[in-house]
Amino acid sequence: MSERVATLQGVIDSLQRYWADRGCLIHQPWDSEVGAGTMHPETFLRVLGPKPWKVAYVQPSRRPADGRYGENPNRLYKHMQLQVILKPIPPDVQDQYLDSLKALGIDPAAHDVRFEEDNWESPTLGAWGIGWQVLLDGQEITQFTYFQQAGGVDLAPVSAEITYGLERISMYLQDVDDVYDLRWSADRLYGEVRHEEEYQLSRYSFELADVELHRRLFESYLKEGWRTLEHEGGRTVLAAYDWCLKSSHAFNVLDARGAISVSQRAGMILNIRKLACAVAERYVAGLDGVRGDAETASAETRNA
Amino acid sequence: MPELLLEIGCEELPAPWLAGLAAQLKQKFTEAAARERLDPQDVRVAWTPRRLVIGAQLVARQEDREEQLWGPALKVAQKDGAWTPAALGFAKKSGVEAGALQQGQKEGGPETYLFAVKKTPGRATREVLPAIVAQALRGLAFPKRMSWDAWLDDGKGLFPFGRPIRWLVLLFEGTVVPFTIFSAQGGQQGAPLVTSGAATWGHRFLPRGQTGRAIPVASFRELRDRLRDHAVLLDPEERTRRIEEGLRAVSAAGTLHDEDGLAAEWRDLVEYPTVVGGTIPAEFHGLPVEVLQTVLVHHQKYVPIGGRGTVERFAAIVNTDESNAAGIVRGMERVVVARLRDAAFFFAEDRKRTLAERAADLAGVTFHQKLGTYLDKSERMVKLVGALAEQGALAAADRADAQAAARLAKADLTTLMVREFAELQGTMGGIYLRAEGADAAVAEAVRWHYHPLSVEEDAAPAGKVGGRAGAVFAAVSLADKLDTLAGYFGIGEAPTGSRDPFGLRRAGQGAVRVLLDFWPAEGVARPSLKALVAQALAAFTPARPASEVQAELEAFLLDRLDYVLATRFPKEEVEAVLATPGVDALDDPFDALVRVRALHGVRGEAAEDFAHLATAFKRAKNILQNQPATEAVQPALFQAEAERSLHAAVSGLSTTDGGYEARLRALASLSAPVDRFFTDVMVMADDPRVRANRLGLLQGALSLFYRIADISRLGGSA
Repeated sequence: MSERVATLQGVIDSLQRYWADRGCLIHQPWDSEVGAGTMHPETFLRVLGPKPWKVAYVQPSRRPADGRYGENPNRLYKHMQLQVILKPIPPDVQDQYLDSLKALGIDPAAHDVRFEEDNWESPTLGAWGIGWQVLLDGQEITQFTYFQQAGGVDLAPVSAEITYGLERISMYLQDVDDVYDLRWSADRLYGEVRHEEEYQLSRYSFELADVELHRRLFESYLKEGWRTLEHEGGRTVLAAYDWCLKSSHAFNVLDARGAISVSQRAGMILNIRKLACAVAERYVAGLDGVRGDAETASAETRNA
Repeated sequence: MPELLLEIGCEELPAPWLAGLAAQLKQKFTEAAARERLDPQDVRVAWTPRRLVIGAQLVARQEDREEQLWGPALKVAQKDGAWTPAALGFAKKSGVEAGALQQGQKEGGPETYLFAVKKTPGRATREVLPAIVAQALRGLAFPKRMSWDAWLDDGKGLFPFGRPIRWLVLLFEGTVVPFTIFSAQGGQQGAPLVTSGAATWGHRFLPRGQTGRAIPVASFRELRDRLRDHAVLLDPEERTRRIEEGLRAVSAAGTLHDEDGLAAEWRDLVEYPTVVGGTIPAEFHGLPVEVLQTVLVHHQKYVPIGGRGTVERFAAIVNTDESNAAGIVRGMERVVVARLRDAAFFFAEDRKRTLAERAADLAGVTFHQKLGTYLDKSERMVKLVGALAEQGALAAADRADAQAAARLAKADLTTLMVREFAELQGTMGGIYLRAEGADAAVAEAVRWHYHPLSVEEDAAPAGKVGGRAGAVFAAVSLADKLDTLAGYFGIGEAPTGSRDPFGLRRAGQGAVRVLLDFWPAEGVARPSLKALVAQALAAFTPARPASEVQAELEAFLLDRLDYVLATRFPKEEVEAVLATPGVDALDDPFDALVRVRALHGVRGEAAEDFAHLATAFKRAKNILQNQPATEAVQPALFQAEAERSLHAAVSGLSTTDGGYEARLRALASLSAPVDRFFTDVMVMADDPRVRANRLGLLQGALSLFYRIADISRLGGSA
């Protein structure tokens, strides 16, 4: 049994190495604001269609309403997830996951590790799955989901989505009670790296964000998303999806600002979902269509 | 008899499903095995979150079967001594040679028919089993199914399940019955995914150093015993016993607060239950018990342990042995402390402003876009409480308190604590009011006003509010629910089918229960639900005719009253009371409860009389249907003794007074004269005057009951 991994960057390093050894492509964070690693196109779009796909990446995830000005030891405006997608699902997927904990120096036999029912749903993405939260001595450290639907499209094959909460796991490994006391590297604490950012971003989203501007942005992003998606000639799915993500973040900022009423909320979420579902539908159509392979198209788009 | 053993090895199934799934498995398997003439005996099931197990005794092979198949009549089957195409077709269909066809009469009839004797030799049970197992697996209904890209070659293809299946033990007489679950690939059958075998798997992590090896088994008993060696307690009762022992040891002198029945849920969360105990740091002992319980129970599934009014420790379940308990508990305590620290911060922060100050903030909290803010709602509730007082249903002395409570009831929605722990709504309002030194009745009413949430008679706040607090609670709770119902019905959001996004059925039941179980018994009138509905509706600007909404909401509330009463009394008795044309149950739901209770009691004493009366009155009602309105009975027109005696009985009873029970007991005595009337008298006499007189007499007898119940709805027997 290896030593407990002693730094946050060590945890990232170990998990990436672990999953790379099991055939995962190691990707990079998406460079637009997202609320969860699921929203990264390497998950949201790649789980669609029949092609096998194995990927792992870190995704900083912004949840403006969870901001606490850097004062709460557990809650963050922006936390980091390490996301793994396995399609198709290997039959020993749970064992692979448990072995990944060993790679971090957690011996499951010396702890209480449990898979407790916790189904996941993202109304903005039209996505849901069945699965568990993984509890380590009562602390939720991972969301483990069998993705059933994304963008309103039934998935076949289904994908396993393993989402590690990097701060949570590191706090456990380092035996600290305050996230800002985490050792990020051998000589830097999490607080030194991120505390000021937490304060400023919390302040912005709770106090400073211009509500009217964000309402306009929300509408404009969606409009641009639809315009892009419906542009003649196709091959606009990835570009349109970016606007879907942007609108989702604008929504989150408005929400944190307390500018969304209960009944408005449902309508706004529905509007994001409609775009996400349309994107997913076109993406799948591209996969099956005579015009060829959206995978190739997406590669070209990215090279451009 | 030889034994069958099936173990379905799964990834962790949700604990709340397990007992139900095992019962289904038993039923589906037994049915399928019986259909296949395998004579299932001694069928037993056991389970853990990772396995569903069934064992049964079956015959080794099906009995041979001989069936008599009937064919065409001989006159069409034979022509000029030769078989016709009809006969030949029948022989072919039945799988016999034409020469083997026989002739006979069906059930003693005169006509001669052809018949064939079809012999089906019994198959070996192990050949039949795969189809039975497939049916049983397919037949399980899960609260939520998932696709795991699996396929069965039973002709149905894709095979969703509750969680992925990872191994199968399928043995008959101790040897493996081949069974395969395939993977699904591109909507087709793919490679084998799970193949049945004779080996099970133990606990994921225990015993240390011995995991990851398949464990061979040959019988149900051996499976259970070998699993026990590998830290899996297959028998749920065995897990319960271990949990109970553990709880006793951990709680020691403290009191367990397991009102939520967590210990029962624990049983199916783990394969090897060990109870451990943790400590709550003293700095949090001052938090309200409800907050501590919410954090422990709802968020962590831990059972609080404490003395009077405090929670000092907690008990938790783990899926491992005691050897690392100290380290595990440290982890659990850390989670609890983090949450409690949040809670303590909220508690301090929230109390910086009074609830009365917060009530004004409700102007910024939307109740529903079309129904205004929570401030609007509070104001409507205040008015409705006032209406109760004007009806005489709320004592004048309580009016001010009840209106104050209505004004404050929703204010805790603006607190940090309720925003974080939504399930504490109402509760926190009560706690904060108490801390502010507000009137106790007001605080209690605010605290409980979302209740009653369930229909059981002993559900909260039964036994928790009484006296003045009870009266104030009842007024506020009823006003809240009626306002919600009136609002949503007005904008066309009444529940339909399984769709009830605003929880209106629960609100309706709650309103009914307030009137049945919580209205003060003395000193005030009982409110007319009908009148209150009208008043609640009047607070909204109608989008459609108010009478339409009123009728819809009345029908809904009557249905909810029916539902609540039917949880306590036989459905037909409830219907007899609610459907009686003599009284509108919504005018006084409590009176309906009293009538059903009386009917239930008296009918129990005089079951036979009521059975007779039900039959007789059903007849009477049928006769009276489509007849003109009856007139006063004229004794001079009587012709038979039975008419006179029934009339005497009816007249005697019309003046009977007393409670419903006494009246029903007296009315039961009508059984004999009514029976005689129907035996001796022809109601539909030729003479129209005699006929009308008899109809009038029947109507009179029926009407005696109508003030209480429509007895004709009681079916035949009690």
